[in-house]
Amino acid sequence: MFNTRVFAVLKRELRERIMTKSFIISTLAMPLIMVLLFGFQYLMLSMEGDAGTSIFIACENDAVTKGLKEEFSKTSWVKNGDYTLTYRSMSGEEFETYFAEHKTDILNGKVTGILFIPGSAMKDKKVKFYSKSTKNLTVERKLSRVINLVFINNYFADKGISKEDILFARINVDFNTFKVTKSEGVKKESGGNLALAYVFSFLLYISLVMMGAWVLNSVIEEKTNRVCEVILSSLNARELMTGKIIGSALTGLLQMTIWLMPIVVVIGFKLPVLPTGFIVDLDAWQVLYFLLNYFIGLITFLGLYASVGAIFNNAQEAQSGAMPLLMLIIIPFFITMSMITSPTNTLAEVSSLLPFSSIIVMPARMTLVDVPLWQFILSFIVNIGTIVALFPFAGKIYRIGILRTGKKPKLKEIIKWIKFQY
Amino acid sequence: MYALEVKNLSKTFGDVKAVDNASFFVPEGSIFGLIGRNGAGKTTTIRMMMNIYMPDNGEVILRGTTVGQEFRNNVGYLPEERGLYKKMKVLDLLMFFAEIKGKTGEAVKKKALEYLKKFSLSDRKNAKIEDLSKGNQQKIQFIATILHDPDFIILDEPFAGLDPINTELLKEIILQLKRAGKVIIFSTHLMDFAERMCDHIAMIDNGKIILNGSLKELKESHGQRNISLKYDGDISFLNGHPMVDKITDFGHATGIRVKDPAQIQELLKLLIQNDVIVKSFNANEISLQEIFIEQTVTEEEAVKNNEVQYV
Repeated sequence: MFNTRVFAVLKRELRERIMTKSFIISTLAMPLIMVLLFGFQYLMLSMEGDAGTSIFIACENDAVTKGLKEEFSKTSWVKNGDYTLTYRSMSGEEFETYFAEHKTDILNGKVTGILFIPGSAMKDKKVKFYSKSTKNLTVERKLSRVINLVFINNYFADKGISKEDILFARINVDFNTFKVTKSEGVKKESGGNLALAYVFSFLLYISLVMMGAWVLNSVIEEKTNRVCEVILSSLNARELMTGKIIGSALTGLLQMTIWLMPIVVVIGFKLPVLPTGFIVDLDAWQVLYFLLNYFIGLITFLGLYASVGAIFNNAQEAQSGAMPLLMLIIIPFFITMSMITSPTNTLAEVSSLLPFSSIIVMPARMTLVDVPLWQFILSFIVNIGTIVALFPFAGKIYRIGILRTGKKPKLKEIIKWIKFQY
Repeated sequence: MYALEVKNLSKTFGDVKAVDNASFFVPEGSIFGLIGRNGAGKTTTIRMMMNIYMPDNGEVILRGTTVGQEFRNNVGYLPEERGLYKKMKVLDLLMFFAEIKGKTGEAVKKKALEYLKKFSLSDRKNAKIEDLSKGNQQKIQFIATILHDPDFIILDEPFAGLDPINTELLKEIILQLKRAGKVIIFSTHLMDFAERMCDHIAMIDNGKIILNGSLKELKESHGQRNISLKYDGDISFLNGHPMVDKITDFGHATGIRVKDPAQIQELLKLLIQNDVIVKSFNANEISLQEIFIEQTVTEEEAVKNNEVQYV
């Protein structure tokens, strides 16, 4: 299978790919994009866009008004001026008149909302909040936490209960999570491996799609350029395809290794760039497995992309022709996303053992759950088997397609190509 | 033993029989022309010889054995539709094409630079292919074809798209290669070139080989009643003359066919009597184009052509 001609093609692929601006930029930019993407998500979560909220709080109970003033003024968001709160004690009727007069303030944006706490709230905790949008979860969450606090304080104030008891009643449940694995027993976990699973599947997805598009275009280029005819006068189609796919797969592997470098360095040396309490659990063998699995995946998908490229005559046709291949990458990607909410779901387990999907699902799965060895072995056998079963067909389509010009072949013709004996 | 022998090659695309039981031979050390008009089956035949198309039938025999990788390594092929990697640099590309033929190293590089110099492209060795003019790309393609010093050189329509100066340059190099003992096979629909350069030809029409042999012998056997004439003056009096079978204007010369070989001397006399200044008068001479038309043009087309000629 390997000879000097295959090697020459392989070398050319490597050189022509690695020395391009697009490769260098995408290789260097991807870690940056990932950092930005995560940073952006983090920012989106922390920045709730509720600065400049002003709320008028009307309260029937004087003690509650006082308590609210005291507790609200302790919060960071009132201290830093994000929220401007105005308090007034008034009866129910007074509020009716007040609200009728000041309804327009909400509509013209003078206040974000008007909150009314009736005296009955001390029994049923029911308050009324008037604003332009009733779906303002951030404001609701922030206010209700403090109001609840004041309610509890007031409710228990004259019941002779100790401060400690009240404190206990006030705190929420803290869910500490632990992952149980066969080998190392019980480990404390945070969102770290979830993020890692996300990163792994994201990288696999992006890179398979990118490398696929590259091979697709490169085959189309050779075909429309007619350069393939010159090359096929020196070597046969199988040699060309082998050199091309292995060359491209090696470039992909190089790129992926570079992408993983920062992750491995950060985790391996426990660099203090991650937020505290963010524990990531990743072994060296898992990184190696990830790369090996990725290489096998590249060979599989690039073989498919090459034969799809050979069928069509221009990039547009080929892109739509490659849609089914894209689905083979996207669907497993969505399956890995489903694991973020339930890592042990059956769909994920089954798809991590099926051809094509295994390549994307297994790496994410191994970071989240303790995958039994037999499943690793099975998925490896399945993946190699896929290549062995696929390549004779892909090769034939490639061989015949690459010299075909003229109109787009029909599916029936392509089946005929596969059946063709030579 | 012939250098290359094509035996009963056939290829069908759908309902079209592109090549139909084609057989011909190419002797050692010759320039061989595969001639025929557009769509006659030249390129398909060559592609089958190159193992790019699988023939439905037949085989190609190289010095007694069926062609394989050995032939591929030893052949330089210039396809009809030129193909180069647009983004590669000239020298890198040439080195790549030599490498897939199994030739690498400094010697090849030196040779590549020599050829670039010959085609006055030395200063473009690090330019990208896409930045070169079409003519220059053609030259690069030709260098890529011969850089690995093959014994066989197969050129599909090599002169298409070249300007006169580069056409001459290419011809010169082809003749040099011939002198170096290479076997050169080229296809063309330009009879002029074929006539001036080929030792042997095979004529293909509608996928069938209709003539094969040495050009000299073919011309002799077809030229007994033919005269190739170059002249100044008016020869319109020959139109419809009882002695004349056919007159064809080929631009550089006029072909006249008499009805009987014995009438040739009489024709010369007649020309002089009519004050035609005879610049050259080649008896028993037939141009390849005449043979070609004689062999391939259908009755219907002949009528049409005659009308044009005599208007």
